[in-house]
Amino acid sequence: MSDLCNRLLSSVLPCLLAASALAQTEQPSSPVPALAPEEVQHALYTDVMTVPTPGEVFAAIDKGGKPNWSSQYRPPTSFNSTSRAQVALNLGTLIADGFIAVAAKDGQQVKNIGRDVLTLAKKLSVSDSVLARSKSITQFAENGAWPQLDEELAATQNEVKQALEQNRDADLITLVSVGGWIRGTEVVTGLLLQNYNADDAKLLRQPALVAYLRSKLDQVNPKLRDDKAVGKVSQQLEAVEKMVSFPADHVPSAEEVRSLNGLVANIAKQISNIQ
Amino acid sequence: MKRMPLLLVCACAVNLFAGLATGRAETVTDDQVAARSEVLDLAGAFENDGFKIRDGHLFGKVARDHAEVISVNLYSGNAYWFSVASTKKVDKLKVAVFDDQGKPVKFEPYAEGNRAAAGFSPEASGLYYVKISQEDSQPATFCLIYCYK
Repeated sequence: MSDLCNRLLSSVLPCLLAASALAQTEQPSSPVPALAPEEVQHALYTDVMTVPTPGEVFAAIDKGGKPNWSSQYRPPTSFNSTSRAQVALNLGTLIADGFIAVAAKDGQQVKNIGRDVLTLAKKLSVSDSVLARSKSITQFAENGAWPQLDEELAATQNEVKQALEQNRDADLITLVSVGGWIRGTEVVTGLLLQNYNADDAKLLRQPALVAYLRSKLDQVNPKLRDDKAVGKVSQQLEAVEKMVSFPADHVPSAEEVRSLNGLVANIAKQISNIQ
Repeated sequence: MKRMPLLLVCACAVNLFAGLATGRAETVTDDQVAARSEVLDLAGAFENDGFKIRDGHLFGKVARDHAEVISVNLYSGNAYWFSVASTKKVDKLKVAVFDDQGKPVKFEPYAEGNRAAAGFSPEASGLYYVKISQEDSQPATFCLIYCYK
């Protein structure tokens, strides 16, 4: 109960504090009408607003105690695939790994992952965006400037996506997002298996997000869609969507978390291993 | 969730417009630059309270008869501030938050002229909608960003 109170306070208080800074000009709230059905139907879905960064879910789970972030590291693997689709998926998982290293406050791991990100970014011709950030990432890592590192990683991810768009590789943006979400979910479920609690289990409810990612995968050009890694991911995301589509008042059990973890861990492994 | 397929089909269509709306278009207008500067200034207040600004922004246009509704996926346990600003010419800009059914949720409102924000701490993770509107009949360019903690 006290844990619940603490969590409520930690989530509501920041809003109230920030609001107080603006209170002098705040307007009284008036009843807000519900959205019209056509407004819901025509709502804008866009990567930059609709797809949360791995840092957002990690921020949420970080409030539940002291997660053992380093337990979620992956052993370094040599990645030799020449498939650009698979490189993009892997880049997404690696950027999520970067957020994990920042959450773990592990400067060396941040630098290691930064090097791997750069290697993959080169394969997608977007290394300039990473290089531009790599110096500050290294400096922040050496100085233990964790909040700034978190922001820098998010900015790197965003700039990689912008560079892909400028290179007319917009479809690869979807794959980076999918890779990042898969790896982020693997980590969250992995931490939950170590220390199950209902509040963190509720973070797994993301049906619309997975539906959005699946719809975007369906829209990628046929050449990318035929890629072995994309096919495998696409196929299994349907099962993932079912697992994260539960009513708002449902709390996934430890067994449900275990099933989801097994599935997303398998997808993440396939992303990095398919030749 | 039954409406999701239709919703996503519509989303695909709307995404054709997203190239203009995401701020990734090749040219950024003066109004967009001004709106982004204003919104970053507004979000600075939240940043001072420990909120992180999500990297990335969304440009769009609103008028009295044309609001913009944006889908976001949020996590319970986090607190969010959705901040929007337009050029100085615009008055009475508003931002509101709705659940996945389109029903308004309880949020902390802030609105002053060409700046507005909504503070929200979701009890359930999942899909929410953010609506940007204004009362002026003249279309106005806005810039939306969000912060989380």
